[in-house]
Amino acid sequence: MTDSTPLPWPGSRSGPSVSDSDLLLRVASGDTAAFSTLYDRISPWVYGLIRRVLRNPAQSEEVTQEVMIDIWRTATRFDAGRGSAQAWILTIAHRRAVDRVRSEQASTDRTALVAARTVEVEYDEVSDTVSTRLEAEQVRRCLDTLTDLQRESINLAYYNGYTYVEVAQQLDAKLPTIKARMRDGLIRLRDCLGTTKGGTR
Amino acid sequence: MTEPDVHTLAGPYALDALPDDERARFEAHLAACQFCTTEVAELREAAVKLATQVAAPPPPRLKADVLNAIESVRQLPPQVGGGALRQRYSRRSVFALAAAALVIAGAGGVAVDQYRDKQAVLQTNEQMAAVLSQPDAKTSHGKVDGGGQATVVMSARADAVVVVLRDLHRPPNGKVWQLWLMDASQRAVSIGLTSGDLTKVVQGNVVGNTTFGITAEPNGGSPGPTSAPVAAVEMT
Repeated sequence: MTDSTPLPWPGSRSGPSVSDSDLLLRVASGDTAAFSTLYDRISPWVYGLIRRVLRNPAQSEEVTQEVMIDIWRTATRFDAGRGSAQAWILTIAHRRAVDRVRSEQASTDRTALVAARTVEVEYDEVSDTVSTRLEAEQVRRCLDTLTDLQRESINLAYYNGYTYVEVAQQLDAKLPTIKARMRDGLIRLRDCLGTTKGGTR
Repeated sequence: MTEPDVHTLAGPYALDALPDDERARFEAHLAACQFCTTEVAELREAAVKLATQVAAPPPPRLKADVLNAIESVRQLPPQVGGGALRQRYSRRSVFALAAAALVIAGAGGVAVDQYRDKQAVLQTNEQMAAVLSQPDAKTSHGKVDGGGQATVVMSARADAVVVVLRDLHRPPNGKVWQLWLMDASQRAVSIGLTSGDLTKVVQGNVVGNTTFGITAEPNGGSPGPTSAPVAAVEMT
């Protein structure tokens, strides 16, 4: 059931592999060629994630651009001892997308929006390369090991940018329950994927 | 933030699912909770894998735009404090100078020793949150010789420093760890004594200090540092 094989990231298979961490360290010293390579590797994840949260393509491009520039600007602050390059980059991307959602919805009725948006993850959005497929498949298998409530809580928060309060409302569950399911769901996902601090490679 | 469920917040936090105010409070808690910091890092590694389910290449022209844009974007300087060995030693030598000069100064500000009871913990967390929520709050980290980690958050606006010491080893026999703040002219001010881990908020007379340091001093403490520091963390 549990498969702890490290997950391949795009580009990690091609050629004598330079890790994303190494690339990011080179970016931190002002290496624009390294940044270009890093962009090719990670932009599908960054853009795909932001677009999933924001939905609006034009807005998603704008935020993706902001995030990529931010990665260039703050690469000096990346600390490989504290986590993987992927986690660092996608954390920036996800938070930026969520913050955009929140600032836009600050003056609207979020309750109505919560009800209007969809819970389902659209798997057909996955881009079509072999290593991407393999990795996505492994994550999907691991997601299947979660309970329904764990999976729905995590999906609503991560893909839709909901707060746990909104998730609780959507799923008609108590706040402490949702908080706990998010944590134990992520722990189960972590154990299934074999990801730990320091990344998968 | 000391309720039993504080650790469960690592889940929603790793998913960016905490409302803004709770996020700020949890980040204040993270500064003092090594366990939570590690757990958040691990849960984030798992959470970001969800991005694989929705990957989509951006329009090709976006890359040209980004590469063009970074040409005119200056990169941040590397973060100091627990960074390169060379930097740490130069800070230490500055601190040693202060020890030699034996500049004597009284206790600065009101130091609040914590974790006596729940009320005190709550109060510290509120004070910490107040410091961390300042727009100018700056966090610095440094290693303690012989083991341990020092984290210092300073805000000139709040005129306050949060000091968090974790995994500190015991001081030599007959000695105690003394904590100092030092300004650019190497004037050292004692902010307290400890023999182990602690979380402390120092409020008042903080502005102008640039370095946090720890020295081993005879029991009861010294009016000024008398030995080479086991930790020196630049705060600005």
